Amino acid sequence: MEIMSRTPEEKLLNPRPGSKIAEARDYGIDLTMLAENLRYTPAERIRRNDQAANSMRRFEEAVRNAKTANRLKAR
Amino acid sequence: MINLFEIARRLSESEVEFVIVGGVAIRGHGGNYVTEDLDICYSRTNENLKRIASVLGPLKPRPRDLPDGLPFVFDWTTLQHGTNFTFETTMGDVDLLGEVKGVGNYDDLVPQSLRIDFDGYSAYLLSIPALIIAKRAAGRPKDEAGLKVLQALLESESDEE
Repeated sequence: MEIMSRTPEEKLLNPRPGSKIAEARDYGIDLTMLAENLRYTPAERIRRNDQAANSMRRFEEAVRNAKTANRLKAR
Repeated sequence: MINLFEIARRLSESEVEFVIVGGVAIRGHGGNYVTEDLDICYSRTNENLKRIASVLGPLKPRPRDLPDGLPFVFDWTTLQHGTNFTFETTMGDVDLLGEVKGVGNYDDLVPQSLRIDFDGYSAYLLSIPALIIAKRAAGRPKDEAGLKVLQALLESESDEE
């Protein structure tokens, strides 16, 4: 009987016990995000990284501005 | 505005000899790591240094550890006077590495890399096994999560279970 091999995405979403994938999950790696990333091309993955990095910078700036505003208000 | 994709495109179009390593390479393989810098291992030939300088020059590179106000001149001879550089640029940080610990220099890295099509340009991306070797050789606690991601991705690509 032929056994169908699983796709990388399937392996990440349902890791075999004792596997490196299970080890990563137990360490705290979000395997659903890895599986999601595999749906994109390498170019799309890097573009998405840039978008995420820019978003994080905007969040950091917003938090910084809010803290400054709160400090000024407290005076 | 961070645009590491565009920096890599410009390097490729100017025929710079480089291999993408570090966080962008992990991301390229499918990792969920968000990085703000492009790490590349580059060939140290004079021709290549000139090409790198012509690409990065317009992005106003400046060493990240250089205090504000101190003058800095960037040209290809700047790159002759060192091996590893950590620059901030107008499109994001770029780290130039003459050698990657545990893996080697540009010529050593190329056979351990994949030539990847990035929608209109192509560049070498260090392979997952080589990235694992580099992370292990670096031995930094901060790389532990990246190592777990790389090992999981490598296993997911494997034919064996």
